[in-house]
Amino acid sequence: MGDDVAVGTRILTVEDDERIRTTVKLALEDEGWEVEEADTGEDAITRFSAAPTDVVLIDIMLPGIDGFEVCRSIRRQSDVPIIMVTARADTHDVVAGLEAGADDYLTKPFVPKELSARIRAMLRRARPTVPGNPRLRFGDLEVVPQEGVVTRDGQPVHLTKTEFRLLVELANHPGTVFSREDLLEKVWGHGVFGDGRLVDVHVRRLRTKVEADPANPRHVVTVRGLGYKLQP
Amino acid sequence: MNAEDQEDAARLHWRGSQIGLRARIAVAVALVTLLLSVVLSLVTLTVTRRTLIDQREESVTRRTLANAQTVQGALAVDSTGDLQTVLSSLADASKPSLIIDPGTDRSVTVSLDPTFGVEALPRLLKDRVVEQNASGLMRFRGEGQPLVAVGVPLADRRAAYFEIYRLDDIDNGLRTLGITLVVATALTTIAAAALGYWASRYTLRPITRIGEAAESVALGQLDTRIDYADYAHDHDLAPLVANFNEMVSALEERIDRDARFASDVSHELRSPLTTLNAGLQVLDNNRDDMPERAQQALDLLSADVERFTQLVEDLLEISRFDAGAVRLELDDVALIPLVTSTVRNLGFGDVPVESDPELAETVLACDKRRVVRILANYLNNAEKYADGPTGVFVERHDPDPDNPFDETTVRIGVEDAGPGVPEAERTRIFDRFNRGDQGGSRGADIGVGLGLALAAEHARLQGGRVWVEDRHDGGQGARFVVELPLLGPDDEEAEEDLSAATPEAASALTLTGEHRALTPEDLAGGLRPEELR
Repeated sequence: MGDDVAVGTRILTVEDDERIRTTVKLALEDEGWEVEEADTGEDAITRFSAAPTDVVLIDIMLPGIDGFEVCRSIRRQSDVPIIMVTARADTHDVVAGLEAGADDYLTKPFVPKELSARIRAMLRRARPTVPGNPRLRFGDLEVVPQEGVVTRDGQPVHLTKTEFRLLVELANHPGTVFSREDLLEKVWGHGVFGDGRLVDVHVRRLRTKVEADPANPRHVVTVRGLGYKLQP
Repeated sequence: MNAEDQEDAARLHWRGSQIGLRARIAVAVALVTLLLSVVLSLVTLTVTRRTLIDQREESVTRRTLANAQTVQGALAVDSTGDLQTVLSSLADASKPSLIIDPGTDRSVTVSLDPTFGVEALPRLLKDRVVEQNASGLMRFRGEGQPLVAVGVPLADRRAAYFEIYRLDDIDNGLRTLGITLVVATALTTIAAAALGYWASRYTLRPITRIGEAAESVALGQLDTRIDYADYAHDHDLAPLVANFNEMVSALEERIDRDARFASDVSHELRSPLTTLNAGLQVLDNNRDDMPERAQQALDLLSADVERFTQLVEDLLEISRFDAGAVRLELDDVALIPLVTSTVRNLGFGDVPVESDPELAETVLACDKRRVVRILANYLNNAEKYADGPTGVFVERHDPDPDNPFDETTVRIGVEDAGPGVPEAERTRIFDRFNRGDQGGSRGADIGVGLGLALAAEHARLQGGRVWVEDRHDGGQGARFVVELPLLGPDDEEAEEDLSAATPEAASALTLTGEHRALTPEDLAGGLRPEELR
């Protein structure tokens, strides 16, 4: 599994519970990753700025500034993959976390194997190696998977890595309908219990960037009851 | 399932007695009115009759006495004269008759009207006048009509004078009056019933409203209140309304507290479990460096922590149901792909999925996560207790035309070839911490007894239900079924969309704007639970 994951991957975990932080660090280090710890939101933002980071793991419930704010703050300066850890699977927390810019979320109590799998999926798609057409054009939208470049009307569009991977997944098979389960599996590496809201929120975010009128999407369209597709 | 039936029954019963109460009020008002009307009518009739007859008797007595005087005078002047002439000469006499010397052989009787002669007189009156020599009056029936006879003894001679008057005019008048009263009574009663029914609606409106409010509270609308200001002026209703509101507030507060408690407990339990899981993972990563005894202990520990984690998750889930803190995430889901992918992804790829052909394109409005949980539970149970599932069946159930509460549903059944579930266990098996026959035995692989109870809650939340039955092919084993209401995305419109569900056609619809495209908000549970009904 770890063959496409570079050695020296650095993970920042933000968690106020020392026991969780320590055991998770131990478990992740067993995977061969380097783990940087932060126990407050402020600490996390400082550490993130100080050294390059490949994946950030943020607990929502933090003293001081909360996980959502940390997430927004990091998202403002980087498109690094962010995994949110929440004690509650309530709609509110999950959607708020995703809206704040998180790429994925996990609910406590999680099994470290699952966390590693998610991190691996994030790292994999952070370095897209998708073979395919060098240059995909859809009207005003152009996608260059190899270079990680997307332009609309010739202007570069800035996407996070997850948004980019999602767009490329759709763009490689224009006109094909992807169910949310398909996308969860291909983009996030989730199984049957994956949460469709992940896809919905990311599609919504993607539309605000690649659509001229996000309310009436012309590229990333919904196929009622089935899923999403890229309109060729 | 039982609780639901009871709820239905209670709701029906409640509605039933609402109508019953109104009808009872109307009937009571009508009955009282009827009784009063009848009594009044009877009194009126009696008094009127009495008065009319008294007046008539008085007047006929007066006239008879006057005529008797005249006859007596005539007899005194000419005792041998023609009695017939004497009687004829009486101007206002009514059917007069005369008996001279009764009881002797010289006895003579004269009547002006042979039909109403002396023979027609009642014997009692005749005896009284003739033998006791006293005047008298008597009502009787003769010739089929009511009559009154007056008899007067003539003092100077041994003779008696009688007159007979008809009373049928009084009877006719009374009959007319009686009919009028009966009609009036009937009309009054009907009017009273209508008035009672109408008035009772106003009287009962507050109760109806409280009933509706209570129902809405029961359905989870805990912020339901009745506007106190509407009833503040009413001394009888104000306390009821105030108490109701207070009760709902107390209930809401308590449920809030429970929900908060569940959430607090959730956090408290989740953190140490996260540490436990992560710590065990680290130990497991270094398993090979451990002595064999430690490895054994580690395996036992891992298995139990896994079970404990599942138990806590199930407990939290079920406590959310209990606290009313669950939210339905309705979603448009292609039914058959959902079932097949769930079966496949859970590692039951070799289990056949059979579905009604008519369901092939069905898009179901349901909470996907919960449906997957139910299926996963059924499949895993079949694996644990019955050597694995033997088949998954997706069937459409059309409503029973005789049952107005029946609706079109989808039934997903998971069959196994295990020992089956005895009749007596089939309800109990869905209770919490009940494992049917397996209860008590606690093998390494046995799950926690909350799964089926959770399945029932997941189904109920979506307006569905769960049960277990015999295998349909009659073989040994059980079929666990979840039934969900078959609601398309927009019901009828869904059919249309489905027929056009080839990607091109569907997207054409979406793009041309003929149909509203679903936004992620829609997909992510924009529908409220009540829209399910």
